[in-house]
This record gives sequence, C-alpha cells and structure tokens, in this order.
Amino acid sequence: MSGADEVIDPVTGAPAAIRYVNVVKTFGKQTVLDGLNLIIPRGKITVIIGRSGTGKSVTIKHVMGLLRPDKGQIWVGKDELTRMKDRDLRKVRTRFGIVFQDAALFDSMTVFENIAFPLVEHENLPYAKVKQKVEALIAQVGLHGANDKVPSQLSGGMRKRVGLARALVRDPEYILYDEPTTGLDPILTAAMDKLIRDTQDARPTLTSVIISHDMHAVLDIADKIAMMFEGKVAHEGSPEYFKKSMDPLVRQFLAGSLDGPMKV
Amino acid sequence: MRLRLIIQQMEFIGVQSLPIIMLSSAFTGAVFTLQSYQAFHMFSAESLVGGTVAVALTRELGPTLTGLLVAGRAGSAMAAEIGAMRVSEQIDALDAMGVDPINYLVKPRLIASIVMTPVLTAVFDLVGVLGSYTVAMGPLGMSYPAFMTNLKDWVDPYDINSGLFKALIFGVIIGAVSCYKGFYTKGGAVGVGKATTSSVVVSSVAILVSNFFIAYFLPAEA
Repeated sequence: MSGADEVIDPVTGAPAAIRYVNVVKTFGKQTVLDGLNLIIPRGKITVIIGRSGTGKSVTIKHVMGLLRPDKGQIWVGKDELTRMKDRDLRKVRTRFGIVFQDAALFDSMTVFENIAFPLVEHENLPYAKVKQKVEALIAQVGLHGANDKVPSQLSGGMRKRVGLARALVRDPEYILYDEPTTGLDPILTAAMDKLIRDTQDARPTLTSVIISHDMHAVLDIADKIAMMFEGKVAHEGSPEYFKKSMDPLVRQFLAGSLDGPMKV
Repeated sequence: MRLRLIIQQMEFIGVQSLPIIMLSSAFTGAVFTLQSYQAFHMFSAESLVGGTVAVALTRELGPTLTGLLVAGRAGSAMAAEIGAMRVSEQIDALDAMGVDPINYLVKPRLIASIVMTPVLTAVFDLVGVLGSYTVAMGPLGMSYPAFMTNLKDWVDPYDINSGLFKALIFGVIIGAVSCYKGFYTKGGAVGVGKATTSSVVVSSVAILVSNFFIAYFLPAEA
C-alpha cells in the first residue's frame, strides 16, 4: 500500500493528503466505522457531513491517532498510523491543528498564553518571536485587545476564534475543525465561515477537514463534501454535485426532512 | 522534567495548605494536652503529658491528620481541576497538540504531593507541640521542666522519621488517587463532582488503612 500523496482525489483532482482505507472501529457491540474509505485532498477544504452518531468525530480522532482502528489503514502523507508507537504518533500530531467544538481552551491561561502554548511546548523560540507570531494571529482572527482575558471572559464566538488561532500558530499541514459553528448565532456563523475560507485561501498548502451540520456553510466553503451514513461514506463530491443530487439520502439531509431513508 | 509546573504544584499543595495545617495542628496539640492532662492528673503523673503528646503527634497524629487535610484540600482540587479539563476536552487538546498529558498534568502533581506531604507533616508536628506547650504552660499551669523532661527522653529521631515516612506514602496515595480520579472523569459536571468526592473518600480511607499496615510492619524502635 502506497502513501497518501501518491493517490489523486477524484473529486478535486488534488493529491491525497490523508487516506482512510477500509477502516473499521467498534465500541462494545456498536460498529461506528464500518469499512470507511475516504480521501482528503491536499490544499483543499473537505467537509464531512452526516447525522449525529454516524462516526464523524470518530473519523477525525483516528487521523490524529487519538483513537486506533480495529481494522484498516490510515495514511497521513507517507506515514501509516495504525501500527505507530505512541511516541511517533505524538510527532505526527504536531503536524496538525485542531479546533474543538467548544474550543477546549485552557481555563488557567490567558488568550495570549493559550495561543502561545504549542509554540512554547514544541519550539525553542525567543519570547519576542513568540509575541510577534501570537499577536499577528490575534489580529488575524479579530481579537484585538483580548490578549490578557481568560476563557471565562470570552463569548462562544471569541473562544472559537482563539481556538483557531491556537490551531494555526505552528503553521500546521492539516487543520481539523470539529463543528466550528455549533452554538453560534447566524452572524457569528457567517463570520466564522469566512474566517475558515480566508485562512485556507491565505495558506494554499493547508489541508482543512471540517465536521459540520451547517449545510449553507458547507455548500459555500467546501471544495469537497463527504456524507457519512452507517459508518461509511455514502456520497462524496463537489458542492455542485450535492446541490444537484436527487439521491433521497442527500435530499433528506439537505432539506432537514423527517421523511426519507434516515430514520430518527 | 517540568520544574516550573512542579514548583507551581508544590506552592499550591504546600504553601497554600500551611494556614489550615498550622491551625489544625495547634488545636490538635492543645486539645490532646487538655485531655491527657486530666487523665494523668488522676495518677499525679502530669509530667507524662509532654512526652505523650509529642510521641502521638510525631508517630500518628501528624502524618495521618496532615494526610487527611491535604486529601481534603489539595487532593479534591486536583481531581476537580483535571476532571474539568477532561470533560471540556482540554486533555484531548493536550494530546492533539502532541503534549503528553501524563507528563504535563499528572507527574508534577504526584511529585509535589510526595514532596510536600512530609514537609507539611513536619510543620504539623512542630506547631502541634507548640500548641500543646502553650496550653500546658498557660491554662494548665505546668512548669517548663515538667513538660519538657519526658518529651526530650521519649521522642527520638526515629519517631519523627517514621512519621515522615508515613507521610511520604500518604503523599503517593493522595497524588495518585486524585490524579487518577480526575483523569478518568466521565459525564460532565456530575462526573467532576463524583470524581472529586470519590478522590477524597478513597484517599482518606486508603490513608487510614495503610496507616495501620505501615505501623504494623515498621519496627517499633530503631
């Protein structure tokens, strides 16, 4: 089996950055991933959609080695993760940035310290350089003057933007967003979506993976959409493909309808 | 080795526990003196009070009560903090950033607990004897020689060291139990509450049970 980057993604035509090959994961008697095959193209935004409980979060936890599959392979560039030792997995993780659903900021640290944390942990930079880098990101995500605030003083939208700045601070190859707009009002949702698109456009080599339920944003910002159903990718394609698709599964999800193949 | 984090935790477990340790030990020494004086007074053996209180403090009361107080104050806080970090995905965030959460969160707390519980026990012993001395000299009207003679004869370094050894074991128990309970917290705010309660209950019971076995297996004298 070859590395991810020797395979071309049929949807975008870009080389694969990440590949899932026949990945199976069960928790007790529940099979969450049931032979998942998915290509994440390099330098593009891939959005994974699907109902709650279809294995979207489990899918991105596998790609960072936070979970290990029961069967199958996961390629990140030339690295196959499933047989890696923990120490090597930690090195792979440093190539990723992740924006958690609730931001997962460290309560005991200020905004500045939260964003600087990955730099302090992994790079031996002088303080002036750290300050310059962190303040540039604070400006980029629109959080002027928030340096010394602690997470409890921030709104949900501000917390997510701090989470994004922290994820970007080490210039990762890959960035994962776990429901980045959940809990935000429509204006903040649009602002977050724009920030994600701008972040991608400013970094052509960055590979973004988003888990989302926000269908308007998905169709606007995605280069590729993968729809998960029963532990597999049921449909994948461009936003245009999804807009035009007459497949009952796709139509039901886009319309948010109770009638269709997906039962509540 | 994360020295800065270890020092932070030593400050939290040790320095910030000093007021409660000193207050508790002063009154423990005082009340023990009051009660034992009344008992010894029936046999006109008041001069045994100083030695009795000091031996009891250094061998048993010092390490045990310090362990229980540290478990209640610092152990519960450690379990709650790590538990809250678990349920709010902060531990996942550490993992995702390639930072080992055991190295970052657990080891500094465990080391600080092991170092500071004996230090606090030494403070407990000292302040407890001072509390005893104050009550003996003041309200009970004992003379200095009567209080000190048996104390000097009875308390030897082995008593103090065996108490400090116990405290070290209690430090391991408090650090390990609190961090374990916090680290494996499940179920949101309710889970954090359960982990916190459980860490104090398990640590306290483990301290009392292990105290018996340490006392049983340690030789009575050097």
